[in-house]
Amino acid sequence: MIAEPKDHEALREQAALNAIGALTGAERSTFEAHLDECADCAAEVRAFLPVCSALAQSVPQHDPPAALRGRILALARRTSESPRRTAAVAPWLAAAAMLVLTAGLGIYTTQLRQRVRTLESQLRDALVRVDNGDRRLAVALRSAADAAAPMAILTAPDVRRIDLAGQPVAPQAAARAFWSPSRGLVMTASNLPALPAGRTYQLWFVTARAPISAGLLRPDAGGTLTTVLSTPADLPQPAALAVTLEPEGGSPGPTGEKYLVGLAN
Amino acid sequence: MWLLWAMVSARMPAVAAEVDQRALEQLARGDESALAELYDRHARLLYSLALRIVRHQADAEDVLQEVFSQVWRQASRYDASRGSVVGWLVTLTRGRAIDRLRRERVKPDQVRAEDDAREVADAGMPADLRLVTAEQALQVRAALGALPDNQRVPLELAYFEGLTQAEIAERLVVPLGTVKTRMRQALLRLREALTGQKP
Repeated sequence: MIAEPKDHEALREQAALNAIGALTGAERSTFEAHLDECADCAAEVRAFLPVCSALAQSVPQHDPPAALRGRILALARRTSESPRRTAAVAPWLAAAAMLVLTAGLGIYTTQLRQRVRTLESQLRDALVRVDNGDRRLAVALRSAADAAAPMAILTAPDVRRIDLAGQPVAPQAAARAFWSPSRGLVMTASNLPALPAGRTYQLWFVTARAPISAGLLRPDAGGTLTTVLSTPADLPQPAALAVTLEPEGGSPGPTGEKYLVGLAN
Repeated sequence: MWLLWAMVSARMPAVAAEVDQRALEQLARGDESALAELYDRHARLLYSLALRIVRHQADAEDVLQEVFSQVWRQASRYDASRGSVVGWLVTLTRGRAIDRLRRERVKPDQVRAEDDAREVADAGMPADLRLVTAEQALQVRAALGALPDNQRVPLELAYFEGLTQAEIAERLVVPLGTVKTRMRQALLRLREALTGQKP
């Protein structure tokens, strides 16, 4: 039966429920009969299938018991052994059998050659996949290392916290730095005013001698930033951290207005 | 660097789907090693789903055994045009788990599975898939969490408890039509959150 347009709309609304198997009884059989003849509704069901498998991922994940794997694989092995049949071969069939065997061997050889070719191409595919896998793993390890850097600093035995307060040009701005002389500096800042064109923020270690640049800071559009900077190992004991506005690319020494200052103690 | 990472993550589910597809083709040709591959890739997800539905470890193991045995026998019946391999596996697992749940529902609840079981990655699971699943799990949980309770609860009752819409209406004391509408809204919102597809 071809559904009327009005029925079709009503049926299409059931696609989502059908995709997660929530239709029952008559509703289900009516909808599934309609699916066979309606590509639109079939596509609508397909569009919800990813949601159906995604829901499975929302549950707490548990490892299956280790023994289950062996049991399941053994099960498959048992059912794959088909029972062998033995047949009595009459002697007068032997000659005919020989002929068939010879012909069969020819076919078998061709099939084997085909199989070898398939296996070779599968092997090539597999090698490509392994190579891709290695590359992906390398990327993953690198990003894991990136993510680990702030953690290493925050957990360093010599880490100290320096709070930076907004100065008169940016009273709302605030920042906090965690500095480990041995591992580097993690800094988060918020409410920094948007940078004028051609300008950048620069972070300074204010020491007894000249201030030493710790790096350039680029907040996002909302004026916040989180950054990890490496600091020189032989840095003299700083009295303070300061953030100034400098020309693009940074300055050798602070020249612009101070935006954030925090005493290191 | 992060852009590269984002590109790689976006590509990963597609790669995972290809690997699954390949394994299923091998399985259809009778290659046992493909069953091991599928098991290593998905047993954790399927077992967790079965456990969530049937709630008993032994039952969840039985469900998994039935599912993989069916996959082994019927790999050739899988039709790629009707969804991904993992989708098929999830459908089989959910169907069998809910059948079992409906059979067992008459019996009283015995020991509940430990809720505090480890959420650690299975050593047998490939690294790429582990990353994909962990990320997707976070995304799905966030999307589910963002639904209003009156949409999420009926959906969970249908999906994890196998209740019919009529049973859900009865349990929640709301009209049947409302149950249908809310479940549909929930699914539409999840689809939008997970695939970016507007209804």
